[in-house]
Amino acid sequence: MSLVLEGFLNTVALTLLSFAGAVLVGSLVAVLRIVPVPLLRAVGAVYVEVWRNIPLLAWLVLFVFGLPEVGVKMPLFWTAFTAIALYEAAFVAEALRSGVNSVASGQGEAARALGLTVPQSLRHVVLPQASRRVVQPLANIAIALTMATALAGVVGVVDMTRAAQRINLELAQPLLVFTGVGLCYLVMAAGIGYGARVLERRFA
Amino acid sequence: MGRLLVAALLLFVAGCSGGESAVPGGGKIDALLTKAPVYAGQVTPGSAVDRIRKRGELLIGGSQDAPLLSQLDPVSGELTGFDAYLGKLLAQYVLGKPSTDLLTATSETREPLLANGTVDVIVQTYTITPQRAERVSFAGPYYRSGQSIAVPKGSTGITKPADLAGKTVIVGANTPGVKAVRDVAPTAEVLEFGSDPECLTALKQGRGDAYVQDQAILVADASKDADLRLVGEPFTEDLYGIGIKHGDAEFTKFVNDWLREIGKSGLWQEVWKQTIGTVVTGEAPAPPAIAS
Repeated sequence: MSLVLEGFLNTVALTLLSFAGAVLVGSLVAVLRIVPVPLLRAVGAVYVEVWRNIPLLAWLVLFVFGLPEVGVKMPLFWTAFTAIALYEAAFVAEALRSGVNSVASGQGEAARALGLTVPQSLRHVVLPQASRRVVQPLANIAIALTMATALAGVVGVVDMTRAAQRINLELAQPLLVFTGVGLCYLVMAAGIGYGARVLERRFA
Repeated sequence: MGRLLVAALLLFVAGCSGGESAVPGGGKIDALLTKAPVYAGQVTPGSAVDRIRKRGELLIGGSQDAPLLSQLDPVSGELTGFDAYLGKLLAQYVLGKPSTDLLTATSETREPLLANGTVDVIVQTYTITPQRAERVSFAGPYYRSGQSIAVPKGSTGITKPADLAGKTVIVGANTPGVKAVRDVAPTAEVLEFGSDPECLTALKQGRGDAYVQDQAILVADASKDADLRLVGEPFTEDLYGIGIKHGDAEFTKFVNDWLREIGKSGLWQEVWKQTIGTVVTGEAPAPPAIAS
């Protein structure tokens, strides 16, 4: 039983922490992609294209087995956290950027015509409209991230899927065990979906 | 331009197929097949043997990535190893020709694959356990294996299985090693990686204190890697069986008869010498006694 709990808690922790990390890094990258400085924009674009165009599993294997070769050795959980957060940050950045871009440019121009400074027009006019529009895309990313944490089991982290495999190795009841695990993921994803609806209503 | 492309493609295809025909079936299995028995008795209509004969090939659930046991040779495209050869020989026994189709099974899919008839047999280091015997029928055992401990050269402190207590132990994911470590050292932390090379890399990078794996695989690793040291003899006994659809007593007996026959004729020992015997020194062991 403790194995089930360990796996479940690890999956929940990995999901929450990686998503928090992804939002943090993703916001920075989104800013880089929006600011009117060509060099920074290029840096942001390169980040997004490099991270999201290489499969997460490849990143995980590179991080777990590659980093120690160059002298960086973190515990497996934190290695997986770093890889997942940096990978998902690329998607978060794009969701945030498209949210901001979806606000018609006339809105910002009108705000400035009314005498608001750039930060003021961002805070009072652009971002409130953008945040409502990015809630669902971000929820999609969060759910995809929840499922992606199962890949951490491949590189040694005892997540929910890995725990299920261990249990099944003894019970030999794969349909039962994996239906149970599937339901756990379903509950987590449904929770994210519910949270997104609440947030969306609050921003409306 | 288009014609050039077609010509290049044709050349490429010709090159590929030429490479395949250069190694027709591989030498080892051909030599074994010449000595393989073929079933000549009665076949009950509707039985598993009847079904396989009508289909013309044996559907096997197994692996493509288990060194010495069942590994796909990327050059010849041939499946090599102890389990792989036994599968071919079983097909020869049933059909009179080594026609097999290998479906990659995993520890999650083995029982359902048998239950719904997707495969006829599972030949995949399938350890016979009481829990599994409730879900599938086992022919055999056909192989006696054991988990051993390997440590990096120069490491001290682990001289027997009980010394694993409190240590971080690397094991192959979904192998009997997971349970074996928990049985001898419940306080050990088990770290699983998908493949043998990953486990070895993790051991070298200091992610764990020891690596527990099937002895044959560890012997093979140590023969290629001077920095690896085996600790003592195997500390478990895993009996591998051939998985068969639960309750098919007739087919189970059929496979058991075949296993007895190749054990008696020395073919089993031949297969061992060609596969596991290439890294484990000494004579071939006696095949385990068939349970029923």
